[in-house]
This record gives sequence, structure tokens and C-alpha cells, in this order.
Amino acid sequence: MTRADYYIVLFAALLLPYLYISQWTGDKAGISATIMNGNETTEVSLAHDHTLEIDGALGTSTIKIENGKIRFTASPCLGKQCIHSGWLEHAGEFAACLPNRISVAVLGEAPRFDSINF
Amino acid sequence: MSDDPDSAATTKTGISVTTTPEDHVIAWLAALAIAIHIIESVLPSPLPGVKPGLANVITIAVFILYGWRTAVWVSMLRVLVGSILIGTFLSPTFMLSFSGAIASLIVLWLASRLPGAGLGPIGLCLIAAMAHMFGQFYTAYLLFIPHDGLFKLLPLLMTAAVIFGIISGIIVRSMLQHLEKRKNDTTAQRNKQEE
Repeated sequence: MTRADYYIVLFAALLLPYLYISQWTGDKAGISATIMNGNETTEVSLAHDHTLEIDGALGTSTIKIENGKIRFTASPCLGKQCIHSGWLEHAGEFAACLPNRISVAVLGEAPRFDSINF
Repeated sequence: MSDDPDSAATTKTGISVTTTPEDHVIAWLAALAIAIHIIESVLPSPLPGVKPGLANVITIAVFILYGWRTAVWVSMLRVLVGSILIGTFLSPTFMLSFSGAIASLIVLWLASRLPGAGLGPIGLCLIAAMAHMFGQFYTAYLLFIPHDGLFKLLPLLMTAAVIFGIISGIIVRSMLQHLEKRKNDTTAQRNKQEE
């Protein structure tokens, strides 16, 4: 192995821990969230704690914001998938109550697509 | 281009194609790389994007033995013909494979410009594997999954690239040692016969 080889191996050995630390810790917390009720969209800030009551297609869903996190706490649907989604805090996380036609998505700095298919 | 009588291939219609010895080297090694590429495409993968990348062993060996230009030919032919034979030509798989190959060729070109002893097989394979991974990762991010969540996969993918890069570097090194030994053996034999 030449000296340059050792530098490359050293570079790789330093790059890997850097990637693990930078990508797997210190998640970008969501700044705000959009709540979609039918076709209506409202944006809420996650900065202060409060509880929202939203009237959907079936009834009232309760959405709670606490410590920069947001979640469904009550919903008139049968499956309760939205409540089981739990706390959402990272940009891009999403919970929806399809029967009540309400969904919550946490936004980061710039909203983007989830995936593009050809 | 050469005076070798075997180098002009004549077809039934009478059209002749003149090939250089370099063309033969490219064709043989590209065929080998394509065979490895296809065999590898059958292997199951734990994560999309993770593959041993053994076809790159050929690219790096060609780069060391014949230079960057030949390595570009072998690598591009491998991606193109391999994808046509598997049936992924112009599909996302092909795009990832193609962009990865381009990225590693760029890095190999830079490596060929290094002063001094430059890089050995292990360094070349490792840096090429990492460049390949970065290239395909950014293509995936820009074209197919522009979601920041994709970056969570990068450490795992890069770990795989580093491990497989070092393994293929070791393979290239023993391959070159083997070739060197055989060359020495044949020249020694020839010298003996001449005596």
C-alpha cells in the first residue's frame, strides 16, 4: 500500500463516523405543521403548546401540540390509525385520519416531494 | 490500424471492420465485466443500492494495467450492455448504475493525476467505490426520492461501499500479483528455452 492509500483509508475511516453522527443524531425538528381538513389547509406553528379541535367529515378530531411535537389525541373514526401514529416531530412526518378527512404533516424549512415515480 | 492479419474481421457481406489490439483488450475485459455484472444482478440485496460491485474489480484492474481511457470504455460498455441484457436500460436502476460509474471514473481520472507513487489497488478501489455510492445516492435523491429522509440511509450505504471497496481492492491486488507472477514465470521459461 502506498502512502496515498493510507490517506484514502484514513479518509474513509473518518467519513463514516461523521456520516453516522451527522445523519442519525440531531434531527431537524419540525418548525410548523399543515393540517388539511377536506380541501382546506391551515398552517400551525409548533412553537407554543395548545390543543386544536377540528370538525371533519365525521366529527371532531383533537390535535395536540406540545414541545414542538404534534399528534392526534382523539378522533371519531373506527381504526384510530391517526392516534396510533403518535407524536410527529421531524420534518416530513405525517399522520392522517382518512375517515374524518383530516391529515397533519410536519414541515421543515422547505417542503418537498416524498417520491417521484416514472 | 495495425498490420496484424487477424485484426481485420470480414463479414459475409464483405464489409470489413478494422480493429486495433486495444479494441480487443477492451472487448475481452468488457465482456468479463458484463458477465460479472449480470451474475451479480441475480444476487439478493439487503438494501437497494448495496451490491458487492465486483464488476468494478475489472474496471480498476484495467485502469492500473491499461490506463484511464481503456477503463472508461470497459466501464461504460459494462453499464450499457449489462443493462440491455438484464432489461433495465434507461430505468432507474440503469440511471443509478450509470451515474455511479461516471462518478467513479471522474475520481479515477483525478487519481491518475496524483503526483508521486499515487494510489495502489486498495486505495483506488476504495475511493472509486465511495465515489460510486455518492454518485448514485445523489442521483437517487435528485431524480427519484427528493426527501430528506433518504439521507438516513447514507451512513449505511457508505459503510457497505467502504467494506466492499476494500474487499475488491484486495481482490485486484492479488489478481495483479498473480498476473505479474505468471508473466515472470513465462519469461523465465522462455529464457531457459533459449539457453
